[in-house]
Amino acid sequence: MNDTAPPEPDVIDAVLGIAPGSPLDRLRRERDKLRHYSQTSYRAALMPADPRNFPLPLRAALAARMARSWKRAELARHYTALARDLDADAATLALADPASPAPQDPRLRAILRHVDLVTRQPAQATRDDIAALTGAGLDDRDVVTLAGLIAFVNYQILVVAGLSMLRDF
Amino acid sequence: MTADVVHDFTLAPLDWRPYVAPVELDHATPEQLDAMQVTPSNTGVSPYVLVLAHEASMLAERSPLFNDIMYSTGGLSRGGREMGALAASVVNRCIYCAGVHANRHLHLEKRPASIDEIFARQTAAVLSEPDQALYDFGVDLTSDPGNPGHMQFHRLREIGLDDLEIMDLIHAVAVFGWANRLMHTLGEPTLKPDRKGAD
Repeated sequence: MNDTAPPEPDVIDAVLGIAPGSPLDRLRRERDKLRHYSQTSYRAALMPADPRNFPLPLRAALAARMARSWKRAELARHYTALARDLDADAATLALADPASPAPQDPRLRAILRHVDLVTRQPAQATRDDIAALTGAGLDDRDVVTLAGLIAFVNYQILVVAGLSMLRDF
Repeated sequence: MTADVVHDFTLAPLDWRPYVAPVELDHATPEQLDAMQVTPSNTGVSPYVLVLAHEASMLAERSPLFNDIMYSTGGLSRGGREMGALAASVVNRCIYCAGVHANRHLHLEKRPASIDEIFARQTAAVLSEPDQALYDFGVDLTSDPGNPGHMQFHRLREIGLDDLEIMDLIHAVAVFGWANRLMHTLGEPTLKPDRKGAD
């Protein structure tokens, strides 16, 4: 689990513009393990070796949608750029905007509804919301994949929100 | 919805019942088994971990991250991190998470009045310091990470937290934004039946 050094720049450093040697960089490196596993978790959620029923461009677009839902512009930019780098088509890129019209496909509609609910109002989620996903054709693993993606990206949103205050104040 | 589901914050011992079928231990892949071992447990693998094992590659990174955020040495006190976890869990209404971490805070800090007040008045709880500053920061960050309150942030400095301690609190709150979105959405808390002789 520990054998792969993150090959790309640390995503939290990148979106917050944390320069090597800056006070926040030095602070983050005091928690090197945490920093490392935040990055490997990012790869596991957004760039898994086996994306199965959630293609990588869709994952990136959904992440951009979550970041926009919370008005975290720096993360939304990152994920929109990632979706483009992954050659997301126009319909997938449109999902990055929470205000875009709902797509026709019932499976995708159910996924978007769940993404929006669990991002903004997790307290309101019930058993019926999982039933809505399975009713739209998601299997048990799909449900856990989607929950894991939403939960990780919201973690990242919270970390970026908190660290931005440490950077600015 | 069944009768034994718990809907209110409580310190009582709880179980967790998933809405999706967990991975069956007998049929787990080597990768799933490896990912599940990372979570320390004395009583076998919990239903929660068996559910998360559907996505073994996420679980394998998440478990050591969670443990480091909550248990690393130095920085914010263990109790301070539990208060961050509790604040997130109250806002997100993860009854199970709130119960576990209220109990841990109680065990570490021995301030039952704080826990009683949080369960009674939730985000409006009136606490003594340092609980108030830690709790308010966690509630505020969880409620609106798009526009977190600068007052709540500055209050942390006023009560004497240094940057490492503040960063630890941020991560405790954030990792419960993660945990709550799994535990509260993928299953429900039930009262643990009396287990005579157990524990």
